[in-house]
Amino acid sequence: MALYEIVFILRQDIAAQDVNRISSQFEDVLLEGGAKILKKESWGLRTLAYVVKKNKKGHYIMLGVKADVAVVNELVRKLKISEDVINHLVLAVDAIDEDPSPMLQAPAEIRHESHFAADAI
Amino acid sequence: MSNENNSNYNETGGGTLISNSVLFNRKTTVKKSNACPLSGEDAPVIDYKNIELLARFISEKGRLLPSRLTGVCALKQRELTRAIKRARAIALLPFSKQ
Repeated sequence: MALYEIVFILRQDIAAQDVNRISSQFEDVLLEGGAKILKKESWGLRTLAYVVKKNKKGHYIMLGVKADVAVVNELVRKLKISEDVINHLVLAVDAIDEDPSPMLQAPAEIRHESHFAADAI
Repeated sequence: MSNENNSNYNETGGGTLISNSVLFNRKTTVKKSNACPLSGEDAPVIDYKNIELLARFISEKGRLLPSRLTGVCALKQRELTRAIKRARAIALLPFSKQ
């Protein structure tokens, strides 16, 4: 069992309650494979730095998991097939930080979102 | 011309004489503090999620700044590059912007 950080982005059309439902489905894929979800964060609807599949904004979900590689591969396969997920990133990490990630520490974010916004171009 | 044989001067195009010490001693770095801003005890952790930190090391057009300008040491520059490229992959930072 190794530690992985998985970030995926759901497209902007999805309603807030569906975001929870869809991310739970992906979590279930992991849990059924015997993984442990150590951290879950939702960074909310953020403006993307560039247009991804015609979306300018997306719902970001981050998971910190302890899993086998086969389970993670299965999840990636499902993420690629899903029409709701527009982008994903899976990293093998040495440790999962228990504190909330820098994305959840708000103040400067408002300043930077407009700087990197896809529609600022 | 008596100073054309003086080896401390070279002629540039247009016939002006400029001292060698000006032509050949161009400073390659902007004068900055000597310490790497990312090394040391209270240095922030480099993480692809920490875009506030990463934004200090990219140009206005979104390109990575050379360590020659930022003063970052080689090891941290490599970590920074990795983090910025990950952030770009997940649309937290742009690849380029006008």
